Amino acid sequence: MGRKTLADINSGNGEPLISIRDVCKEFRRDAITIPVLQGINLEVAPGGYLALMGPSGSGKSTLLNLVAGLDRPTSGTVTVCGQSLERSSESQLAKWRSQHVGFIFQLYNLIPVLTAFENVELPLTLTSLSRRERREHVEAALQVVGLNDRSHHYPRQLSGGQEQRVSIARAIATDPTLIVADEPTGDLDAKSAAEILDLMERLNRDFHKTIIMVTHDPDAAARAHQTLHLQKGVLVEKTHE
Amino acid sequence: MIPAKYNVRNLRVRWVTTLMTVVSTGLVVWATVLTFGLVEGLEHALRISGEPLDLIVLRKGTTEETSSSIEQNVAKEISNLEGIATDATGQPLCSSEFVTILTKPRRGDGGTTNLIVRGLQEMGRAMRPSFKIVRGRDVKPGVNEVITSERMAERFQNLALGEKLEINKVLFEVVGYFEAAGSSAESEVWTDLRDLTGARRTPEALSCVNLRCRDEAAKSTLLKRLREDEQFKLDAIDEPAYFERQMNAAVAIKYAGIAIALFLTMGAMFAAANTMYAAVASRGREIGALRAIGFSRRSILFSFLLESVMLCLLGGALGCLGTLPLNGFSTGTANWATFSEITFAFRFGPTVLMQGVLMAVAMGLVGGLFPALRAVRMPIIQALRET
Repeated sequence: MGRKTLADINSGNGEPLISIRDVCKEFRRDAITIPVLQGINLEVAPGGYLALMGPSGSGKSTLLNLVAGLDRPTSGTVTVCGQSLERSSESQLAKWRSQHVGFIFQLYNLIPVLTAFENVELPLTLTSLSRRERREHVEAALQVVGLNDRSHHYPRQLSGGQEQRVSIARAIATDPTLIVADEPTGDLDAKSAAEILDLMERLNRDFHKTIIMVTHDPDAAARAHQTLHLQKGVLVEKTHE
Repeated sequence: MIPAKYNVRNLRVRWVTTLMTVVSTGLVVWATVLTFGLVEGLEHALRISGEPLDLIVLRKGTTEETSSSIEQNVAKEISNLEGIATDATGQPLCSSEFVTILTKPRRGDGGTTNLIVRGLQEMGRAMRPSFKIVRGRDVKPGVNEVITSERMAERFQNLALGEKLEINKVLFEVVGYFEAAGSSAESEVWTDLRDLTGARRTPEALSCVNLRCRDEAAKSTLLKRLREDEQFKLDAIDEPAYFERQMNAAVAIKYAGIAIALFLTMGAMFAAANTMYAAVASRGREIGALRAIGFSRRSILFSFLLESVMLCLLGGALGCLGTLPLNGFSTGTANWATFSEITFAFRFGPTVLMQGVLMAVAMGLVGGLFPALRAVRMPIIQALRET
C-alpha cells in the first residue's frame, strides 16, 4: 500500500509519529467564532499510548479528530505518519485514514445489518487484498479480541463489551499504525471496561500500536503512558507515568 | 466500494417502508407497462397487417376501403395486369372485395359499435398473413355463412359459433373462427363476396382490389400504372403505408400513456426519495463510521443510489411480473380511419418490459439522488454524533 510502517518510523531518525505545531481550531456558528483549541503543540513517539482528559467542551475530542484526519485545523500543522493532514484534500484524508488509522468509538458504531465478521472485514474491502487474505485478516483480528466464536453474530446479538471488542477487531484488521479511541469504555460496565482496557494495553504492548484515547475515566487514563489534560482548548498539564 | 449486502440487508430490515415503496413503484411500472403493452399490441396488429408487396386498389379520391367503390369489369382488368404474383396453380394473387360497416351491439355493456364485414373469395383469405381456421370451418359460398376471430366473438353479440348475424335482414350463421397472426383482419367478419353483396342488394358492388406484386420492381410499375391510368380512375396504396396511417389511435394512446406515466413516475420518485431520506436520517452514525474508516464520499453516494435503485427495481420487477398474466389478453379501441372497432391483444415483449425496468431504474436514480447527496454532504464529525 506504499505507506510508512511502524518499523520504518522506529528505525528512522527518532521522528515522532504525531507532530502537532501551533494548532488552533475555531468553529463558526452564525457570525460567532468559537475558539476550541489554542496554540496546541504535541509530539507522540511511535508506540506511544496517550490519554487525553479534560472537562466536556475542553477540546479533547476535537484534538483527537485532528490527529485522526477527520477534521483540519484552522491554523498550525498536524503531521501524522509522515502526512501533513492540514494540506490534504478530503479524498486524500479518506485514503490516508483507511491505511493508517483504526477507530474505536464510544458507541462502537458497528453496522447493525452486518455480522461481526463482515464488520471487521469492512475496512479491508478498501484494500487490494483477495477474499481469502481478507478472511485470514478478519480471523486473526477476531482471535486477538477473543471473539472468533461470535464471528457470525450480528451486533444486536452481542453484549456491549463484545460489540466494543468487535469494534477493536475492526480497528486493527488493516494493521494500522495509529489507533484513536473516543471514550472507548464510556458506555460499558466496569468489568467490560476493564477487559477493553486490557485489550488496548495489549495492542500497545504486544502489537506496538500507537494509541490516543479520549477519556473521562482516571482509571482508563492510568493505563496510558502519558496523560494530557485540556482546559478551554489549552493543554494545561502533562502527566507522565 | 461498500458491499451491496449492506444495502440489501438494510432494505430487508426496514421491510415495511421497503414494501410500501416497492408496491407504489410497482403500481406505477405496472400501469406504464400496461399502456406500452397496449400500444405495442395495437401497433403490432396494424404493422403485420401490411404485406410489403401488397397493394390496395381504391377509387380515386378515397382513402379507405369502406368509402371506395370499384366496378367489376375494372377489377377484372386489374387482375390481368402484368406484374401480379401468381399462386402454385397460376392464379393471380388478386382479390376483389366488398367491405361494409354495420352497427352492432357489444357483449356486456349493451352499447353498440361499428363492425367491419368483408366479402371476399378464397384467394382473398389465402392472401391474409397466416390465415387459418382455428375452430369450426370456412364459409361455403351461397349459403350465407360468416367466419370471424374468437376475440370478436367475445366482444360482439351474435358472433359466437352457431349464432346468427343479421345483415340487412338476412341472417348469416357463424360457422368458424379464424386467426391471421393477430393482424387487423382479426377485427373483421368475413363472408363470401356474393353472399354479402346479395344481402346488401348491391350485387355488382366492389370496394377494393387487393393484389400481391411479383417483386419490388413490379410493385413500382403497378403503382405508377394504377395511379396514372386515366381509364381506371383508381388509386393504389402500398399496404404497409395504408395500415401505418391507421396507427393514429396508437400514437394518441402512446402519448397519453407517456404523459400519465410521467406524472405517476414523479409520484413514485417522491415515494422513493422519502424512503431514502428516512434511511439517510436513521443511519447518520453508520455513514459517519463508514467515512471515518475511509470510505470516500463517492462510495457513500454510490451505495445510497444503489439502494434506491434496488428498491425501485424490486417495484419494477413486481410491476412487470404483474402485467404478464395480461399478455395476449384481447381488447379493442376505435380505429378512427375506418370508424370501426379494432381488436388486438396486449403484447408485453422484451422491449416493453425493458422500458418498464429502465423506468424503475430512472425512478431509483432520481429519487435516490438528493438523499444520497445529503448523506455525502454530512460532515463526518456531525454524522458520528447523530443519535
